[in-house]
Amino acid sequence: MANNEVDIVKVIESKFGSKVQVQPGLLGTAAINTNGLHREVLKAMVEADAKTGITAITGLDLGANLGVIFHVHTEKGFFGLRAEVPKEKPRLQTITDIIPGALFHELEVSDLFGIMFDGNELKGHFLLSENWPEGIFPLRKDVNPAEVKLGPSPPEEKIPEDKKIVKFIIGPQHPALLEPEKFSVTVEGEVVTKVEPRIGYVHRGIEKSAETRTYVQDVYLVERVCGICNACHAHGFVGAVEKILKTDVPPRAKYLRVIALELNRLHSHLLTLGHAGLEIGYETLFQYFWRDREPIMDLIELTSGNRVYASLMTIGGVRRDLKDTDIPKIKTTLSDLKKKLPFYRKVYTDEPSIRARMQNEGVLAKEDAIKLCVVGPVARGSGYDIDVRKDDPYEAYGEIPFKEIVYKTGDTWARMNVRMDELEESINIIEYALDNMPKGPFRVDVPRYVPIGEAIHRVEAPRGELFYYVKGNGSASPERVKIRTPTYANIPAFLKTAIGENIADVPPNFVSLDPCFSCTDR
Amino acid sequence: MTNTITWARVKSPWVLHFNSGACNGCDIEIVALLTPKYDVERFGIKLEPSPRHADVLLVTGCVTQQCAERLKRVYDQMPQPKFVVAIGACACSGGVFEGNYNVVGGVDKIIPVTAYIPGCPPRPEAIIDGAVKLLNALNPPKPKKQPKKAEPAKEAAKPAAEPQIVVAQPEAKPVMEAKHDGKQ
Repeated sequence: MANNEVDIVKVIESKFGSKVQVQPGLLGTAAINTNGLHREVLKAMVEADAKTGITAITGLDLGANLGVIFHVHTEKGFFGLRAEVPKEKPRLQTITDIIPGALFHELEVSDLFGIMFDGNELKGHFLLSENWPEGIFPLRKDVNPAEVKLGPSPPEEKIPEDKKIVKFIIGPQHPALLEPEKFSVTVEGEVVTKVEPRIGYVHRGIEKSAETRTYVQDVYLVERVCGICNACHAHGFVGAVEKILKTDVPPRAKYLRVIALELNRLHSHLLTLGHAGLEIGYETLFQYFWRDREPIMDLIELTSGNRVYASLMTIGGVRRDLKDTDIPKIKTTLSDLKKKLPFYRKVYTDEPSIRARMQNEGVLAKEDAIKLCVVGPVARGSGYDIDVRKDDPYEAYGEIPFKEIVYKTGDTWARMNVRMDELEESINIIEYALDNMPKGPFRVDVPRYVPIGEAIHRVEAPRGELFYYVKGNGSASPERVKIRTPTYANIPAFLKTAIGENIADVPPNFVSLDPCFSCTDR
Repeated sequence: MTNTITWARVKSPWVLHFNSGACNGCDIEIVALLTPKYDVERFGIKLEPSPRHADVLLVTGCVTQQCAERLKRVYDQMPQPKFVVAIGACACSGGVFEGNYNVVGGVDKIIPVTAYIPGCPPRPEAIIDGAVKLLNALNPPKPKKQPKKAEPAKEAAKPAAEPQIVVAQPEAKPVMEAKHDGKQ
């Protein structure tokens, strides 16, 4: 593609001139003050680069005004389009007609900041509970959550009495879901015609809570967004803070971080590949994968001291070094796992029951993947090659050779096989990092007070691109922390692919997104 | 007859897992319990999908506003006698999320809790230890009578370094008012 970041900035500057202000180097490639022209700027970007998509929409409380930042990714660049609305009349034009994937992001800002998007058809609470009082928006600075009085709970949803149409309500407590979320699935006969999600059951208000704690405490708080990809969350936060501080992490710490992130990916992928087996009634496969996941958990414990919460990342480096005497143990465990992979690969490619349940099910075309702005293995299973480790290398990923796994078919099977192949790549990355680890310090001292400034950081978590936005105000606590997690971006893909499916094929399709709702809700 | 029921329950407790807003850390550890390395099925512990068949409710998470009502309902659907195990720091007291706007904090604010297993997340060994202690409390080895009812769970509630077992009164009134007292 001829498009790259320089072109986009030039396109914007030539088209809008002094009507918009471009600040290169901020919020990714450039931050653009749109002065009320956010739709026009976005349209120009989509025309210039067909792969333009939305990563997140951040709401900000700026005192008299509310700020909105549209974080937009293009083929090579990453932009932040700023807009402002007065607090008395917080209304903006929707962008869902330009980029359909923005739907859920707009809903989140409406729910938590009270900024209404004209033209967005979905209304109602998305993250907050149904009995949350009207007109109070928890992430605004003037709201004291302790004073909020909840109303009475609304009555249960009524199921329509039409004999042809059946509405299943899956969740919040359901054997197939490990986490509490609700999906209302409407079926005609056995064919799904509509899926309505209701998330927010795990919404703990971490973004607000992060504003009241210090940066050091926040590292451990954001880690607890998700128990599976915790190292990625911690890294997303410390990466953004280090950009504000302009800290350079020592080379050894970069390699140690890569090892922690890849161990995280290994155990997460093993977990999902097993879970998919459970969903299609193949429990043996589930037990096998989880058996082989345990040695990886032991490695996480060996390298970080903890089995689940690694707590390895810290601002300025990592918290502990890797002992040279531990390296042979890590290598043996990984090579043992590597020897088992051909068997699993064979099961996933040749086993007739897996092929029957997964191939040609839940097909997501590449164009839809781009339009819905999906990320991670879901996008790569549809032939859409996005991987932050390649596109915007962080830590030592720029120096380590590895393959980006892309499948073209876009079905459940392709998404699971992306993960299957990534297992081997992850093992190779860790082995390379162990062999080429530089000597030297593993952390640097950083000030406790973070200066005024803002930064974004993107991490390729096991489920896809994880996005962090941190704004510092010169004190020991951040002004705003925004987290956009991969599952939040991937849910629209499920809503699209489930329609027209047989009801029995919905669970495997759903698990192929590797959904994590504690991430989604925060 | 009672002895037979106690014997059956202790030899094979059916557990139901409810996530009341947890981060997946404890939940994955519970699933890990069922897999080959830890394999609690050798103690007869079986994960049961329906509350109506379950003896023990394993609750993880800090109890979000949306889940509080559902947690109460799942508890009410379970047949008597029933036992609740709070797994993880969040379920014991709210953990790091205590005081957030959407969090009730602590399972014992909604339903009576029999055993607390602290940790973030507790190791699978700790969960097994907690489960075994619960079973021993149900069927104490020496005295051949019904398990003694200790004081209500709320008072004994502070999580300690190792699992504490308190057998709650099954009739103890669930503290649903806590949901609206504005302490969040």
